[in-house]
Amino acid sequence: MQSSMDVETVSSQTQNEPGPLPPKPLFEPLKAHEMSDGRVQFRKVNVPPHRYSPLKKVWMDIYTPIFEQMKIDIRMNLKARRVELKTRADTPDISNLQKCADFVHAFMLGFDVIDAIALLRLDELYVESFEIKDVKTLRGEHLSRAIGRLSGKGGKTKFAIENATKTRIVIADTKIHILGSFANIKIARDSLCSLILGSPAGKVYSKLRAVTARLAERF
Amino acid sequence: MATKSEASLNLDLLHRLKSTEPPVWLAPRAELSETARKASKIIFSYLRPYAPKSPLDQLLIEGFDAEQIWQQIDLQSQPLLSSLKREVKKFEKKPEEIGKIREVLEGEKKVVESVGKVLEGERRVLAVESDDFDEDLDDGLDDDDDDDDDDDEEEEEEEEVEGSEGEEEKKGKGGPEGGIEDEFLKINELQEYLEEDEAREYGLKKDSNDSRKKGGRRVLDNEEDEDEDEDEDEEDEDEEELGVFGDSDDNEEEDEHRQKLENAGYEDFFGKLEEDSGLDDEEDEDEAVETKKNDNLSTHEKQSEQLRAEIEKMEKANLDPKTWTMQGEVTAAQRPKNSALEVDLDFQHNVRPAPVITEEFTASLEEMIKKRIIEGQFDDVEKAASLPSKAPRELKELDENKSKKGLAEVYEEEYVQKTNPAAAPLTFSDEQKKEASMLFKKLCLKLDALSHFHFTPKPVIEDMSIQANVPALAMEEIAPVAVSDAAMLAPEEVFAGRGDVKEEAELTKAERKRRRASKKRKFKAEATKRMTAKKARDNTLLNDNDGDYLIFS
Repeated sequence: MQSSMDVETVSSQTQNEPGPLPPKPLFEPLKAHEMSDGRVQFRKVNVPPHRYSPLKKVWMDIYTPIFEQMKIDIRMNLKARRVELKTRADTPDISNLQKCADFVHAFMLGFDVIDAIALLRLDELYVESFEIKDVKTLRGEHLSRAIGRLSGKGGKTKFAIENATKTRIVIADTKIHILGSFANIKIARDSLCSLILGSPAGKVYSKLRAVTARLAERF
Repeated sequence: MATKSEASLNLDLLHRLKSTEPPVWLAPRAELSETARKASKIIFSYLRPYAPKSPLDQLLIEGFDAEQIWQQIDLQSQPLLSSLKREVKKFEKKPEEIGKIREVLEGEKKVVESVGKVLEGERRVLAVESDDFDEDLDDGLDDDDDDDDDDDEEEEEEEEVEGSEGEEEKKGKGGPEGGIEDEFLKINELQEYLEEDEAREYGLKKDSNDSRKKGGRRVLDNEEDEDEDEDEDEEDEDEEELGVFGDSDDNEEEDEHRQKLENAGYEDFFGKLEEDSGLDDEEDEDEAVETKKNDNLSTHEKQSEQLRAEIEKMEKANLDPKTWTMQGEVTAAQRPKNSALEVDLDFQHNVRPAPVITEEFTASLEEMIKKRIIEGQFDDVEKAASLPSKAPRELKELDENKSKKGLAEVYEEEYVQKTNPAAAPLTFSDEQKKEASMLFKKLCLKLDALSHFHFTPKPVIEDMSIQANVPALAMEEIAPVAVSDAAMLAPEEVFAGRGDVKEEAELTKAERKRRRASKKRKFKAEATKRMTAKKARDNTLLNDNDGDYLIFS
């Protein structure tokens, strides 16, 4: 480590009295590489089996932004069925690694690459997951019907919610994942919960309209 | 009763008392006191007749000291004084009656003497009666003639007559039988008084009695007695007939007076009580009284009388129920029939009176209608355009399709719109707006073409493709659809045929021949075709004739 300290030589003339204090040392911010004492940081993301082949299809779309723009090393561990991420020497920010890890994880949950890319670009996007049984205990037919209600015919209800709230929703059997900003996630979650609880789609639409209009008016 | 000798003795005593010098009175002397006592006893006995209610017959002087004697005198004098005062007041009202006393006095004196002679046997009765007679002299008979007391006195006279008659009889029987009766309380008198009272309540004796008031008392008394005889019980009649005193008429006055004094009631002191049955009587009496009085009243009194009459009238009116006009709300049942017609009623009509329909009125109306129709000015109700309070909110349509943009792009657009609205790409709603505006412009163009009063050129729309083939003139002119556009036809549409079009003059000989030959060939072909068709037709006709023959006929 090169010290960039400036040491001032004390003149012999003023040895009797204590000389002026040395100036405050100025340090440059640490690089991601230097953090944690120069050790490399890793992230590992598991690949579920149903996302294996989609991953193979869109690997380049994932790899390119991570490697080029985020400056994070990424590789697929085939044996362990894992995606591994590592910081490089020229990684500008330590948060890049986490962002990339979130991005890959979002893809693994089921989001599209173009949707998940938003995680890389915007800071304030989050992914929230919950299960249907967290909202209401449903069994058998009821559960199936609830899932059907959530999606709607051809997925139109889900798309309606997505478009209205500027979020992306993934319904994976009984698990639901929502990607978006904090407030939008809340709205989407409320709509989904009301759908799970049994309200008809029309009611949810009207509520959505009101809420989004209010949101839009605010800006 | 004091004889002449006694009277002279009394006078002597009095003179003696009067002549003594005042200083002599200072020291007590037996003879002076004796003289004084005797004199006072004599005076007492003089006054005794006029105080019938005093318990002492004569002043007791033996063995009594001055205080006791004085008390006895006081006992006698008190009621005497009050009665004297009353008499004086009566005389104040009727001064002319004083003159009459003298005659009566003289008459009565004679009566008294005769009476005294007849009743020597019955001393007690005589004594009482003589006392009463003396009282009559002093009391004044004129009092009976007074208006207010007339009724009472008459009643009392009647009562007295009855009472006296009864008393005479019963007293004659033999003094007080029971312990209750004494000089003051005579039950017979009380009973007769009560009977008299009842008769008065139910009967109208007084009318006849009052009307015949004028004239001598004695005549009146006679009449009253007669009435009494008619109205009263048989007892009275019996008593009257018995008439111990012989000349009952003369005695009646005295008896009545005596009875009146003894049986003084409420009416004596406070005047007669008004009764329903007696109201008319009293009114008549009042009128009679008033006519008598008016002659003697002063102007002031007359005025005050008038005032009083007026006040009475007004008070009476106040007490009576009001006329129907002065009452508050009066329905038709509460007022006499047709009474509202006579009264001038004043009330506000809150309703505009209905307009009278005349010919002029209708004519004016029709004129106005015609004028309005010509002008076209109808007062139609126009709907007021409601101003929008605020701009209508843009209703966001929910897109139910999968969004083509990625989430990142969505946020990107949002960000750009926030920071730099001008550079923002068109939103979905904007595209729709554009499409809508385009459609509308096309529609407007068509509508303008239909109604081309004013020329409107085609709007320059970049996307529209311009027809190059059409001549320029046609572009300028917006012709209606009905006009034929022959120029718009294409050449093929004008003439569709082969290229060799030559006229007769242009043809060469060979070509002419060729044309004729072709013509002939065509003609021949047609002719043969016709012949064959004809033959076929004839054959069919021949065959069918047999069958059709029947039909034709």
